[in-house]
Amino acid sequence: MTADGCGAPAGGAQVSAAADAGSQAVVQGRVTRNGSAVPVGYARLLNSGGDFVAEVPLGEDGGFRFFAAPGSWTLRVLAPGDVRAERVVSADLGKVTELEVAV
Amino acid sequence: MSRSDVLVDADWVEAHAGDPGVVLVEVDEDTSAYDKGHIRNAVKIDWKADLQDPVRRDFVDRAGFEALLSERGIANDDTVILYGGNNNWFAAYAYWYFKLYGHDRVKLLDGGRKKWELESRELVTEVPHREKTSYHAQEQDASLRAFRDEVVASIGNKNLVDVRSPDEFAGRLLAPAHLPQEQAQRGGHIPTAKNVPWSKAAEEDGTFKSDDALRALYGDEAGLDFGRDTIAYCRIGERSAHTWFVLHELLGQPNVKNYDGSWTEYGSLVGVPIEVGDGK
Repeated sequence: MTADGCGAPAGGAQVSAAADAGSQAVVQGRVTRNGSAVPVGYARLLNSGGDFVAEVPLGEDGGFRFFAAPGSWTLRVLAPGDVRAERVVSADLGKVTELEVAV
Repeated sequence: MSRSDVLVDADWVEAHAGDPGVVLVEVDEDTSAYDKGHIRNAVKIDWKADLQDPVRRDFVDRAGFEALLSERGIANDDTVILYGGNNNWFAAYAYWYFKLYGHDRVKLLDGGRKKWELESRELVTEVPHREKTSYHAQEQDASLRAFRDEVVASIGNKNLVDVRSPDEFAGRLLAPAHLPQEQAQRGGHIPTAKNVPWSKAAEEDGTFKSDDALRALYGDEAGLDFGRDTIAYCRIGERSAHTWFVLHELLGQPNVKNYDGSWTEYGSLVGVPIEVGDGK
């Protein structure tokens, strides 16, 4: 993955292993409905004040990934059909925090 | 200038995307998004491969822009409707770029690809065939683009709007949170810059907030002096193109420039002043 755009990489590009987090604080996961991937939708990261920080489109496997600062974040998922879901998640340096969001 | 001069909605696109003289163009940060599915009749412009010089850090020159639009079948009198992912960041960047080279008939699809997708509207994979044109571009409009010397000279006397996230502004992150943290040599922001994240100008579905809400956001809340000239920046200039669009095209502010060198340039310059920490 390159970092020369401000924009999103293909959503859902997976970190291959936790060790790849390096010095990053990675929050990643997958959005599912009835156990199947939700391939169309968006994952938004909000800071502890509720302000928007970043957003990625979901990957074909329903995946998303953020490189956050350490701390507490809210992950909000938007999908067709007015679907909204939220999870509070903590990010730590050198760690990949995984979560699955069922909608 | 009213909103209808610079924005169209999804219903308009569904009704007019095939009209003669209307060209729909998708510009995405994820340059493979178009290939997976796009709005019918849309052509693709790759913000990186098509709009950036392959060697120098700069845009393609006038001749290069002419060749690009000619090859994509875009004529000087066509109305270009731009849209893209991530709340139209790169579509706004392309809008600003088209204006830079003098193409006046250009509009954004409000909400971009995200709103279109969330409404489950049609996406297709067929690539339309458009006859080549002989596009003629203008010289770059210097009133729209800021360079580093002007930015440094603007500290304390122009509005500087840093549209990155609060963590990037404060220097805690060097890039948006969905990208690896690398690039500029130093974190922080340009002294006197106001932090108004681009996202505050957009609704959750990617559409722009109302003019009244936008005026309140930049004026009352952020304290921009609308009587002064303004320079917007982010990390590489596409989120700030979104804010440039808001200030210049929606709110009609006369002297607004986008600093596309942005933090990746400023944060690597030797000797320039930098502030860190949250906004004052």
